[in-house]
Amino acid sequence: MPELSLTVNEHRYEVEAPIEMSLAHVLREVVGLTGTKIACNEGHCGACTVQVDGMPTLSCITLAHTVSGEITTIEGLRDHPLIDAFVRADAVQCGFCTPGQVVSAAALVAANPSPTIDDIRHTMAGNICRCGTYPRIEEAILHWRD
Amino acid sequence: MELLRPSSLDDLNGGLMIHGGTEVVPLLRDGILKADTLVDIRGIVPRGVKGNRIGVGTTLAELEGSTAIPEALREACRLAASPQLRNMSSIGGNLLQSTRCWYWRLKYPCHLHGGDRCHAREGEHREHAIFANDYCASAHPSDVAAALLALDARLHTTKRELPIADLYRLPDEADRHVTTLEPGEVILELELPAVEASVYLKAMDRQRWAFPQVGVAAARVAGEVRLGLAGVAPIPWLLTGPEALDAATPLPRTAWKVDVARALVRRALDRL
Repeated sequence: MPELSLTVNEHRYEVEAPIEMSLAHVLREVVGLTGTKIACNEGHCGACTVQVDGMPTLSCITLAHTVSGEITTIEGLRDHPLIDAFVRADAVQCGFCTPGQVVSAAALVAANPSPTIDDIRHTMAGNICRCGTYPRIEEAILHWRD
Repeated sequence: MELLRPSSLDDLNGGLMIHGGTEVVPLLRDGILKADTLVDIRGIVPRGVKGNRIGVGTTLAELEGSTAIPEALREACRLAASPQLRNMSSIGGNLLQSTRCWYWRLKYPCHLHGGDRCHAREGEHREHAIFANDYCASAHPSDVAAALLALDARLHTTKRELPIADLYRLPDEADRHVTTLEPGEVILELELPAVEASVYLKAMDRQRWAFPQVGVAAARVAGEVRLGLAGVAPIPWLLTGPEALDAATPLPRTAWKVDVARALVRRALDRL
């Protein structure tokens, strides 16, 4: 099986995976990092969002073998202030979309530490929450440094 | 399946080309595209904006934040897809995306799939075409293509130079393709003329992360006003003027799009 080398959360992984396997699948089933979620599996919902070189990327429609950049998953953001902010704002209901939400939000605040509501709505538009916790997610991001 | 990463355009030799993969990967998974060999072309096509030229590998996210391109193109990129998709997808791939017609996506044996009818014409077609919808009623989803059509962009490929309007063709019984791209031909750069003013307006079912129900780009280029529309025909549609909407041939449940297009064209021209 084709070999590939991935850098995930600053760790190097040498693994084997078929060419057609998605990054999400490799992260979850081969590397063993199950924080990244697969929901729609067709690039619509954002649950599978990871950062590649800091850019929010849909891992469910990214072929693992095409990734050469550094990957950051929710496991790599364990100590990010956004985690506490999401808890303070009670921005989690079922929680399935939350890893993707936090990964996107971390890229947003890295580029723009004081985002407005409009910035948040534009930049977080690719992360769907079917519980509808959007107002609390916005609140968590607005006050992420408090 | 194998994955090739050629080091130059000269090394291209068949296979299915992939850049951001946002269209190719789902279509492969659904069995609509089939390939034994994928060719990652990210390393060999131009990327970035230089003067009036845009490399096809430039992502929509990069263009959304660029002050070096006309307003209509920037806005079309900003309103397209979702942030993650804009980070991943190239402008070249955006021009070559397939229809969102659900019959096509669900592999109904429609005209575009080589079948003998258009299922949308008799079936569910609220989001379908109002022009040139006789043979295939699908609606072209590219905001970016509509903007480039209004801006009168030219394409430079590995084989030729052409106006963007000539990239597209209406499918017919003899040829079901909606582009004129030849096998192995790669679009490399987009070239923009001097644009005096431009605007892009988009009607969607929700305000973000949606395909255009109707997208209207208007541009003033060399004193001439040009209108490019998304979501109204199987290919990006050049409208000769607001009155051309009187010649629309909507299906029973796409008539509403004519009214939306009329309103957006009027607003776009007001803002030019």
